[in-house]
Amino acid sequence: MKRYVLRQLVQLVVVIIGISILSFGILYVLGDPVLLLLPQNAGKEEYERYHRLLGLDKPLYVQYWKFASKAVQGDFGKSWYADTPAFRLVLERMPPTLYLTSAGLVTALLIALPLGILAALKRHSFLDNLCTMIAVAGQAVPIFWLGIMLIIIFAVRLKALPASGYGTWQHFLMPAFCLGAFLAPITMRLVRSGVVEVMNMEFIKTARAKGVGERMVVIKHAFRNACIPVITVLGLQFGQLLGGAIVTETVFAWPGVATLAVDSIRNQDFPVVQCSVVLLALLIVSINFVVDMIVALIDPRIRVGA
Amino acid sequence: MGRLAASGSALLLALGLLAPAEVPAQTKDDTVVYAIQSDMQNWDPPNSVLRESIILGYHVFDHLAARDLKTGKVGPGLAVSWRNVDDTTWEVKLRKGVKFHDGTPFGAKDVKATFDRVLNPENKLTARGNHAKIKSVEVVDDLTARFKTDGPYPLFVERMTAQVMQSEKVMKEKGHEWMQENPIGTGPYKLVKWSKKQEHLLVRNDDYWGPKPQFKYARIRIIPEQATQIAELISGGVDVIKAVPPDQMDVINKSGQARTASSPILRTAMLQLDQAARSGPNPFTDVRVRKAANLAVDMNSIIKHVINGLGDRTATVVNPMAFGFDPSVKPYTQDAAAAKKLLAEAGYPNGVEVGFLTGPPIVEPAVQQTSEAISADLDKVGIRTKKRYVGEIGPYVNLVRDGKGGPMFEWSWGYYSVFDADAILYDVMKCGEAYSYYCNKALDDLIIQGRSTLDQKQRTEIYQKVQKLLSDDAAYIYKWGLRGVWGISNRIEYAAPRDEVDRMFTVTSRKK
Amino acid sequence: MKVLSAEGEVALKEVDAVIAAPTAAQVSLRRLRRLKWGLAAAAILLLIVGSAVLAPWLAPFDPLAVNIRHRLAPPAWLEGGTPQHLLGTDQIGRDLLSRMIFGGRVSLIVGVASVMISASLGVLLGLTAGYFGGRVDWTVMTLVNVTLTFPFVLLALAVIAVLGPSLTNMIFVLGIAGWPIYTRVIRAETMALREREFIVAARALGMSHARIMLGQILPNLVSAITVIGTLQVAQVIILESFLSFLGLGIQPPTPAWGNMLGEGRVYMLNSWWIAASPGAAIFITTLVINLMGNALRDWLDPHMKL
Repeated sequence: MKRYVLRQLVQLVVVIIGISILSFGILYVLGDPVLLLLPQNAGKEEYERYHRLLGLDKPLYVQYWKFASKAVQGDFGKSWYADTPAFRLVLERMPPTLYLTSAGLVTALLIALPLGILAALKRHSFLDNLCTMIAVAGQAVPIFWLGIMLIIIFAVRLKALPASGYGTWQHFLMPAFCLGAFLAPITMRLVRSGVVEVMNMEFIKTARAKGVGERMVVIKHAFRNACIPVITVLGLQFGQLLGGAIVTETVFAWPGVATLAVDSIRNQDFPVVQCSVVLLALLIVSINFVVDMIVALIDPRIRVGA
Repeated sequence: MGRLAASGSALLLALGLLAPAEVPAQTKDDTVVYAIQSDMQNWDPPNSVLRESIILGYHVFDHLAARDLKTGKVGPGLAVSWRNVDDTTWEVKLRKGVKFHDGTPFGAKDVKATFDRVLNPENKLTARGNHAKIKSVEVVDDLTARFKTDGPYPLFVERMTAQVMQSEKVMKEKGHEWMQENPIGTGPYKLVKWSKKQEHLLVRNDDYWGPKPQFKYARIRIIPEQATQIAELISGGVDVIKAVPPDQMDVINKSGQARTASSPILRTAMLQLDQAARSGPNPFTDVRVRKAANLAVDMNSIIKHVINGLGDRTATVVNPMAFGFDPSVKPYTQDAAAAKKLLAEAGYPNGVEVGFLTGPPIVEPAVQQTSEAISADLDKVGIRTKKRYVGEIGPYVNLVRDGKGGPMFEWSWGYYSVFDADAILYDVMKCGEAYSYYCNKALDDLIIQGRSTLDQKQRTEIYQKVQKLLSDDAAYIYKWGLRGVWGISNRIEYAAPRDEVDRMFTVTSRKK
Repeated sequence: MKVLSAEGEVALKEVDAVIAAPTAAQVSLRRLRRLKWGLAAAAILLLIVGSAVLAPWLAPFDPLAVNIRHRLAPPAWLEGGTPQHLLGTDQIGRDLLSRMIFGGRVSLIVGVASVMISASLGVLLGLTAGYFGGRVDWTVMTLVNVTLTFPFVLLALAVIAVLGPSLTNMIFVLGIAGWPIYTRVIRAETMALREREFIVAARALGMSHARIMLGQILPNLVSAITVIGTLQVAQVIILESFLSFLGLGIQPPTPAWGNMLGEGRVYMLNSWWIAASPGAAIFITTLVINLMGNALRDWLDPHMKL
């Protein structure tokens, strides 16, 4: 077990370093990093000063080290668009996105878990096919269409919920549902295939052979072990959520970090781009790591030794 | 399974409740809500070009002079009277008893400090260009200030409505950085909280010297999606929205919750052509090609059908509401055959391909549709446009400013809400200015003359010559003066402002 | 997923087959019944592809023809519609049916081209990782993790925001972002096949690694690749529409389902048909592709982990 944890930790560190290299490298691929980092009305003396400050005359690895060491302290430079430190900007907008994505995940699970498990248990039945159809159809719906439709129905026609914004739990419902509905189809299919696989495993057959009732088989053995693929799936999905979050946040005017990242890319506000990418990636990687640890705790095969 | 669902829902609710509660609890009755499409960069109006900055600046700060929206005339604001001492000196008398939000009394020293800061080239404030004619400001006594100008400055009075008065004490003690996020003004509202890119919360200034706003709180929400803004308006979430696309007016009017109101505004739209070759050589350096472009488009039809008549055709860039407008200069009538002939004469018998920079529909709501229609007309005579779309207003403006907008790009100008031809001519037509892609010495001379004399009759004649020149030389593809459309909730009374500055402090509840 | 070893997997599958094997007739019947959805889907897909190919002859109007006097005309069956414009016209009078047909071309080209790029990349990397194992495997899997962690959306946005939106740039970005999915599956399958007798024999005979990977292992993976590729085309079509929603996809006036949806989204409250036709097109196309892909998977290898 210890070896497993260690291996995962190493991978986590490597991935983070990889991401930081990528974010650092973006600037160089895209052009002159000094020009990109400075506000547009800076003069020649500013340019020279920044050039020296960033150490562009030094070799690349030295520059990267400077970037990385400052980044670790939370210094990503100032957003030239808003004239405030990039780190603070990104941190301010993290909580709304976190709420939204967590709620979206929970919603997706609420829909996907029961449907997925049912479909897996009653494989090839009418119910299974129906669920598959719904999942496939759900994956085909563009999420912003869904978002605008929700607004039209619940805010405009029914006047039951506020159309957009952030603050109360009513503001929360539609965006969370939108994101959840976006995730639910693929989650359902993954749950289904995960459960199917578990159901075919040796210990289930053993339990059946022992004569344990079908219900007990399902509840005790299958369900508990089905959690493994489900949790793993969840970990993977958090990264996917970002795409859904961008659109959801735009349509519902949700003040999250996804729209900040998109806006800063379009505004060419690179300190904020770098900061949001690194922090978001850090978040995703950490979640994946936690997920792996939970799976490792549950799954006896990993615990005993792999 | 039921237990799972229950715990899941509980978790969801818990997460929702955890979402941080807003700052002072406002009720619907004491809060007016205004929506804008994008947030400003800072709360320091001279340090920003965005219209949102100007609008929000009106709420927290005051100007020396104020425009009467009904008559369009400039009246007293923080200044109660003004006069020319001589050709290059203006003397302004200030209002007594005005206090800044932090309690500091307002006086001539603040006027001096504001202008000194704006005019200082080292501060690199964007408002500097607007007041370049002011050489210095002197404090005569606590309530009197004297402006020395670089030659006669006829726009002085108009321009007094375009600069907010900031506190000398704040500048000295807090400094530039602090001022970006903490506006201390003398205005009808004070800033309570700024959640970046989400919303601003303002509270009424109960010590305000002028008419106090009816609504205690004003919330300015940033809602980027046009469809969402309209949905919010008709579901009661927002009270005022601006720049409503003409196509969506019926949605609002049929809703029963809100209505639309329109007003001609100073904002004038055009397609700039790179005659000055700032972005490099291009076909529009030839006057025949520019004329052909103007002749190719059936502008009247586009106004009628694409924006439902919500535009007033202009012959040049001068708006009908601006001082100096000459109605005798007529706009181009469509003549595709003549256009093709001119193109052939210019050496393009088989037409020519040109790049076309387009931007987001922030200040001109129907610009995407109208540009498509214009492109189609241009294409019919052989001017084939290749579109390049920049989706954010910030980078778009920067591209134009840095000379990378050519050979053709969408542009509109709000005149900084100054109702004078000079307010557009200098910035958008004068050779060498950041937002001008036209270079004509004869025009430049006229522009300088126009702003160097205080004689209104003389100025009128000068601007007549200007407009004839602009039309004959087909400097740009001229479009129209916009008619702004506002969406207004039926629970309030509000008049569409012709200077494109929304004033939430004038909003009152509708009588039942 | 770290479940059983490769041998265990194989053994389990064989046991499973023995336990669950119904009569031959039952198998064929069940297969055909499940296939009927797939066949129907394939037929519709053929129609869609056919109409895209035959667009210049099928479309009643030039998709770029502007007619501002007839703008915002509703579909023929609604009040105000004319039979001339079956699906109505858009905000500057272009015929929506013609634009939808031509738009299909773009969506399908982008889908197929980018999938070919990501498949080639992904399969190659997956083969290498699965075959050589050890350090190579670890490196590739770390690359997979980094790519999956780095929010694809941000990557796509950053690249396109800088390179400029165009057909080729989109294909490029979507191509290099989609490879991890192939790698994971191919790697697992390669690992399973690696120990099989015919591979061991080939090694003993002295065949080069390349020949074994490409000549012996790869042919067995064709079914997996086909299924993944098919499903990915649907994914890419949705991604294209998403990028166009943000203004970074195919630029107007060239019709593409994505940018048509984006242009139509302001009109959803009144002239809803502008967004409805490309929306329906995306929905139906991705739906049938998914159905066909599922049927394909069920037919070729029901135990495939996807």
